Amino acid sequence: MSSGILIGYDGSECAKRALEVGVDVAKVYGEKVIIAFGYELNPVAGEMADYAKALRELAESRLGEGKELASGSGLEIEAVIIEEAPARGLVQIAEERDMRVIVVGTRGESPFRGALIGSTAHKLIHLSERPVLVVPLAD
Amino acid sequence: MESASVAESDGITVEKPQLKSNAISYLSNIVIGVASTAPGYSLAATLGFIAAVVGLGYQSPAVMIVAFVPMICIAAAYNHMNRADPDCGTTFAWVTKSMGPWMGWQGGWAIVVADVLVMPSLAQVAGIYTFSLFGNNSPSNAEVAIVGIIWIILMTAICYIGIELNARTQQVLLALELFILALFSVVALIKVYTGHPAHSVHPAFSWFNPLDISSVSAFNNGILLAIFVYWGWDSGVSVNEETENASSAPGRAAIVSTIVLVLVYVFVTAATQAFGGLQSLVAHPDDVFAPLSHSVLGSPLDKLLIIAVLSSASASTQTTILPTARTTLSMGRAGAIPKEFGSIHPRFLSPGFSTIWMGIVSTIVYILLTATSNNLIGDAFTSLALTIAFYYGITGYASVVYYRKHIFESVRNFFMLGVVPLFGGVFLTAVLVYAVHFYSAPHSGYAKPFLGIGSPIAIALLTVVLGIVGMIIQRLWMPDFFKQKAGVVDPAILAGTKVATASYASEDTL
Repeated sequence: MSSGILIGYDGSECAKRALEVGVDVAKVYGEKVIIAFGYELNPVAGEMADYAKALRELAESRLGEGKELASGSGLEIEAVIIEEAPARGLVQIAEERDMRVIVVGTRGESPFRGALIGSTAHKLIHLSERPVLVVPLAD
Repeated sequence: MESASVAESDGITVEKPQLKSNAISYLSNIVIGVASTAPGYSLAATLGFIAAVVGLGYQSPAVMIVAFVPMICIAAAYNHMNRADPDCGTTFAWVTKSMGPWMGWQGGWAIVVADVLVMPSLAQVAGIYTFSLFGNNSPSNAEVAIVGIIWIILMTAICYIGIELNARTQQVLLALELFILALFSVVALIKVYTGHPAHSVHPAFSWFNPLDISSVSAFNNGILLAIFVYWGWDSGVSVNEETENASSAPGRAAIVSTIVLVLVYVFVTAATQAFGGLQSLVAHPDDVFAPLSHSVLGSPLDKLLIIAVLSSASASTQTTILPTARTTLSMGRAGAIPKEFGSIHPRFLSPGFSTIWMGIVSTIVYILLTATSNNLIGDAFTSLALTIAFYYGITGYASVVYYRKHIFESVRNFFMLGVVPLFGGVFLTAVLVYAVHFYSAPHSGYAKPFLGIGSPIAIALLTVVLGIVGMIIQRLWMPDFFKQKAGVVDPAILAGTKVATASYASEDTL
């Protein structure tokens, strides 16, 4: 039986909103929360090492903030960094850990803009075989 | 699904994407090396200038072969440095490690300068071929410049937002590019032997024989330009994907990339000059393929070659902006330049600040050059080759210096760690010195001389002065970076008892 709420978190305003909603959902189920930050390293660009370190540090600091925000809930919170494009990364974690639902925020962008500059929510609902809860920023 | 490795520290778990097999990673590193070199664009931009070198005649293919020699030596140096330290980026970090922060800073600066100086040429080729695609073979300079500027802005935006070509797209595009170049060359050669088109010449053995190049200056100037066509293969080296032998595969892939490139260049160069004769190349240095494409492939297939050059230029622009931004990110994080350059865009996760700067500086340089004189773009190209010779050469020396304690341990070490990288470094230094001498003459460039010296050297001198001033300002302002000491290779790595792995690609030490 699937269990646990996976929340995509990059520290943006809409991610904070997704975190709030995701934690609320987790409270109802009484299940653990995983907050995850995904990033992809494009190998077609030279100089990998320092860029990778910079991304790792950013991910750590964002997830640290996220854990802090969710800490008042009394739930079990785990933070995960995945070196994979965010949408694919979330799907990978959800499958591996058999999560109940994936929660992500959306900036409320038009489908065209989302497709052009890459919306994790857009991609996720196409890739995921699990329930996805999309939380708009303006709520 | 099984993740490759999971590490945990500070309560944060780190998951890796699935492991790629060594074979796939090896192939993709070769593709990255060749695609970053952008053979279609490199040939389109350079072939005419090489053919125009006084005294070289039909010997461009021979020049391509000779220029390959120092490249393979430098590829070996990259291989050594990568094996010792896959955790470092490339030239900037390696040279800092082996020869100290001052040389390292200059190495990093040279990469940035080379990347900025190639942008006008990329924008120019993209502009001209965009018009060719729509049937306009004689756009005005202003028209080309506008399309060129739009090109730079568009490519910068793509890299800023982080939607640049990924490795898989590159593979498909490169396969198409190579196929189209091969198709063009084969058809051209068949026509040369069967139909004898106007100005065509049958290939001769002497085209490929470096010993038949009659003058030293032709030889040297040809090599200088040909160095540019190989530029970019090193991109594959910095890819340390997580494989069982992450520290040796990328280096070997770089060597294979240069071999693939020499084959492509020699073949396409010979076919192109056989079909159109020397005059066609010399008359259209900015766009050698555009005029020939129609007579070789006919309509509408001729557009294929135009598309191949454009796609190659697009790949090349991206693989110019991205590594520059990552080099300045590296330098920013190391404290070698202001730390803002080391920042990551919070949403797009690109090296945002560095990327925008690259775009702005490139646009300004392009506008300045094209507004002053179109010939300056050709001269910027020549000084670009000087810069490349400098930083490839310095990487050759860095490898020798880093491994200096082990060169005399065995005959194999003597050749592989000593002779080969040193030869690459010395060869490129010789080319550099000779070129500085040659292009210093007032009328050596395409554009007017500047303060009595040839404009290619004037441009190069300007960049060197800017680099030294920048370095001194940085030294006064943020001295910590310059206090580092140079080091040598860990003997255990050389002995094979220890394999260096990039820290981000192995068990994580957070």
